[in-house]
Amino acid sequence: MRRDFLKLCGLAGLGLAVPFRASESRAAEKKDEPYAGPYYVVFNASGGWDTTYLMDPKGVNNINRLFKEGDILTKGAHKYAPIKKHAQGGMCNEDFYTEFGDELFTFNGLDYSVNNHSPGARYMATGKLDSMAYPTFAALVAACRGPDCPLAFLTFGNYSATGNLVAMSRVPYLPSLKKIALADAIEGNERSPYHDKFALDRIEEALREQNATAGTSPRLPRVERGENMLYAAQVNSKALQRVSQYIPANSPKDRLAQQAEIALASFRAGVCVSANLTIGQFDSHANNDPDQMKLLPEFLAGIAHLVRRAGELKIRDQLVVVIQSEMGRTPTYNAGNGKDHWSIGSAMFLGRGIKGNRVIGATDEKQFAVPLDMKTLKVDKEKGVRVRPEHVHESLRELAGISDHVLSKKFPLGVPEKERLRGFWG
Amino acid sequence: MSPSTRSLILLLVAGMSSAVALRAEEKKPYTGAACAADAIAHFRDEVWTKVGVRKCLTCHKSGGEAEESKLVLKDPSKSEGAARDEAMRHNRDAFARMAATKEKDQSRLLLKVTGKLDHGGKDVVPADSAEYRVLADFVRRVHNPKGTTELVIDPKAPPFFDGVVMMDDRRLLRRVTLSLAGRLPTDSELAAVAKSGTKAMPAILDAIMKEAEFYDRLREGFNDIFLTLGIDGNADATVLSYEHFSTTRLWYQKHDLSSAGDAAAQTKARYKLADDYRKALLAEPMRLIEYIVRNDRPFTEIVTADYIMVSPYTARGHGIYDQVKAQFKNPDDPFEFVPVRLKALVGRTKDDNQDSATGFYPHAGLLSTFQYMRRYPTTETNRNRLRARMYYQHFLGVDVLELSARVSDAAAATAKHPIPTMQAAECVVCHKTLDPVAGAFQDYWKFEGVYGKRKGGWFKDMFAAGFEGEDLPAAERWRALQWLGERTAKDPRFAVAMVEHVYSILSGRKALLPPKDIDDPLYSARVRAYLEQRRAVEGIATRFAKSGFDLKAVFKEWVASDFYRADGVATATKDPKRRAELDDIGLVRLLSPEQMERKVGAVFGERWGKLTDQLATLYGGIDSKETTERATDPSGAMGSIQRILSNDVACKHVARDFARPAKERRLFPGIEPTVLPGASPGSDKQIRLAIVYLHERVLGRYDAPDSAEVDRTFNLFAVILKDAKEQKGIDKREAYACRQGGAVTDDPQYTIRAWRAVVTYLLRRSEFLYE
Repeated sequence: MRRDFLKLCGLAGLGLAVPFRASESRAAEKKDEPYAGPYYVVFNASGGWDTTYLMDPKGVNNINRLFKEGDILTKGAHKYAPIKKHAQGGMCNEDFYTEFGDELFTFNGLDYSVNNHSPGARYMATGKLDSMAYPTFAALVAACRGPDCPLAFLTFGNYSATGNLVAMSRVPYLPSLKKIALADAIEGNERSPYHDKFALDRIEEALREQNATAGTSPRLPRVERGENMLYAAQVNSKALQRVSQYIPANSPKDRLAQQAEIALASFRAGVCVSANLTIGQFDSHANNDPDQMKLLPEFLAGIAHLVRRAGELKIRDQLVVVIQSEMGRTPTYNAGNGKDHWSIGSAMFLGRGIKGNRVIGATDEKQFAVPLDMKTLKVDKEKGVRVRPEHVHESLRELAGISDHVLSKKFPLGVPEKERLRGFWG
Repeated sequence: MSPSTRSLILLLVAGMSSAVALRAEEKKPYTGAACAADAIAHFRDEVWTKVGVRKCLTCHKSGGEAEESKLVLKDPSKSEGAARDEAMRHNRDAFARMAATKEKDQSRLLLKVTGKLDHGGKDVVPADSAEYRVLADFVRRVHNPKGTTELVIDPKAPPFFDGVVMMDDRRLLRRVTLSLAGRLPTDSELAAVAKSGTKAMPAILDAIMKEAEFYDRLREGFNDIFLTLGIDGNADATVLSYEHFSTTRLWYQKHDLSSAGDAAAQTKARYKLADDYRKALLAEPMRLIEYIVRNDRPFTEIVTADYIMVSPYTARGHGIYDQVKAQFKNPDDPFEFVPVRLKALVGRTKDDNQDSATGFYPHAGLLSTFQYMRRYPTTETNRNRLRARMYYQHFLGVDVLELSARVSDAAAATAKHPIPTMQAAECVVCHKTLDPVAGAFQDYWKFEGVYGKRKGGWFKDMFAAGFEGEDLPAAERWRALQWLGERTAKDPRFAVAMVEHVYSILSGRKALLPPKDIDDPLYSARVRAYLEQRRAVEGIATRFAKSGFDLKAVFKEWVASDFYRADGVATATKDPKRRAELDDIGLVRLLSPEQMERKVGAVFGERWGKLTDQLATLYGGIDSKETTERATDPSGAMGSIQRILSNDVACKHVARDFARPAKERRLFPGIEPTVLPGASPGSDKQIRLAIVYLHERVLGRYDAPDSAEVDRTFNLFAVILKDAKEQKGIDKREAYACRQGGAVTDDPQYTIRAWRAVVTYLLRRSEFLYE
């Protein structure tokens, strides 16, 4: 009975007559188990971060007013901006790199290609600039890895399109999950079920039959998708009862930490594959330095919170963390001491399958991207390739082992073979 | 995409817009006239759709960055009818001239787009791209028109909705009454539809659109778009600026409430007074929309109305209560709204007095409301650009941020210029459109942007105030938003945007956007789907404008359209292209928390009452602030809420319904708990009829008593009773929580609980949870 349902769920949202592959069927057979990882977290610095105050410090050409080139710090392979004196709260670079530098992988010189928030956010989230239909990486990996998880793809903002592959879950407050965890019991009291168990079983059976019968009738693709997703949502939702035990008694105050706790509880309960965590206000057109000195430490503190708490929950080795923004900031300050949009930036990664203590790619002294030899991963100004989000996303799909998944193939990134990043993850 | 595939594309476009299908019988041998028509069609369907509108138009137009170049195009979406056709011809000719001109044996068109010949936009079309191949094909056609002319229409393509089954009139009626009035159809409406079919719908809709519930839905739907309820803080302090309303905005603090009772009662009453007042302030913009529609006023008034709406409470805040109190039917009703024209604002200092040639506030519908200003605030660095962006999105349906295109090195291009937003092509693309409108808002700057001129004057390093290439005359500055609103109302994109808004209210999703990925193997199918919907949108928009902008007519047109009525397919199709064409067809709208509550109320006579606050957010609702888009697909969390709802609503209503006299029952008017399955043919028939009734009431299905659907429900009921009989020590009473409120308590044969299980089962089905 469960297998029949899973087969339907596997196709839910596809909207295409795509054969359900044997390997996925086999994987699906085990899906009564909680999803055990990997867990994917995408951190978004919404508004456009100043990478020169984090992983790509310059200190020359008046790019940074808060430090000079000689002040730049290092941790292993990493160079980072010294901000301890200026950081307002949160976690400064110095502490972040000390704690996570060994497992951190940085890519500098990413060409966002556009200077606008919404196209940039879409491009960075999906790897595709010219389509509104593509799913974000987080949604895609959730659909491929755990379509039957009730909160497969959690999002707290930023661009979150799903490509109709998986439902997007918004959980604003942790306690709200408690309220719905035991849906078949009055006021969530397990000892007071609405229906006797035999009656509830019969209801579920009738619903399953009804759904199976509907699947044999010709339906509009949208109807088919809607009915399958609805059925999957209701049946999968029963797994939510596993979440309660991982909800902490006290919710943290920081924005990202709150989001991280919801994601972690969901990961730990095996009901979630990926989460899109975000904080905004990075768009520092005025007073760039004070704004970035407040937001970057807050951002890093959120990342640190997630990784540390994952350790406490014993799932740290299953985490894959992507740290990004939709654009960078100009190498010059404007009249309001701010920095405007800049189409060159960086991204950071850490976690399962990612070799840390590495930096690939570069920007030059004027903060322009330097092309990259995709085979050697060395900069090559003459013959290299400008690395854009689709290159990174192609690699992310490889890292997640979903490049050849039928759902990934539905959304090709169009990166030529010769432009694939080789050995990107180390 | 291969050329052969492209040649089969059935595209019905005009500027990615209105279309006329050339049918198979129209295919003729080459003649001059036919060739010209085909050439235009090819240009429109291929070159314009895939490249021109996306890559060229933003700069190569009057007022655009490349207006001085030899290629100046017209935007067909800004005109209608013959003018639109003329714009397309103009564009085709301009492209053809560029294609025919050669530089060293190569077409100037192909050289320019790849960044050669000093193209200002650099390489907008890479030489190995599908777009380039489209242009190269066009160049070949220009050089050899007779040899290559071909129809771009697939002569075998069936009509778009061929094979799509439309909803029958009864179910359409239920969909409409639930969607727009939050109720089930009345007997007289059902009779009218039974007698006259679809022809009865316009009159029924006219009546529905007079009901109060329709206006609740209208305001809710338009707030989903404008989000003016999402203003932070207490509205009395945020909507009404201290500088202009310091003596009136806190009127409720000193309002005489002695009639409420003792001090504690007065305090409680004052809290309610403040709460209602703040709600009423936030409600003003959507009440303006209600007023316009309710009174059949032209919907252009949302950008031109020379008035705002005030209630007795908000009028006090505005300081005009004495002036308008005679207009109220009930001066104590915080939510009775009347139109009023405010006088020009008077500040605490003379400098903050509002300029006005008439002495009145220059109202421009929603555009100039304090709420719109506060919902979309400005800063020293944002410079009203957020407002301008939202203006384009809300009133002209244009996402300005999407105008920018990918360039080979945006950073390098930006760095070359001291004022990139005025000089760098990739910045100018957006800012030349955006910044003039931002300038039109320039005097709504101080006091958190509600009103007040910027000290030192407006920014010089921005394109000057205006609209679409027309500068704002200095004499009009005091009424800049009225000037903008007047132009907005005349812009053909306004009508289109409003028709799209109504579509989104009815369908829960935005109208389709033109597909961008021309390498997608299903691109032609997606374009066809887009254009088919676009044709409907623009057709309705044209009639909307001709009707004097009667928004009710737009609702009626959408309801009558195939897009609203499409319900199924006659035969299953596995053809990916056909499935891509039909991908967005069918309403299939997951009910929002508010709609769900109304539906429960309509079917059971009482709302569930729990889909509010956090649970509503978890169920995909919005708060109009941080969460502004409704969830369209159910997550596991939402699935859990659906289970709670189905359990709880059934629990509350089944035993209570049986306690009422049969004639007063909503769920079980034709059956008693004593009737058991298998007892006799008569009892089985009675149960089946009860199920038919439930299917109709809860699901909107019209099933025959011997249908498979009724069989399944019957079997569920019967098998639960059988199981119950086999249980030992089972309680002879309904569950404690489900026998409250005068419900039947005794349930010796388990039938009440079995019927409750049936109702739970029905409430979990898509027919109930989706629209």
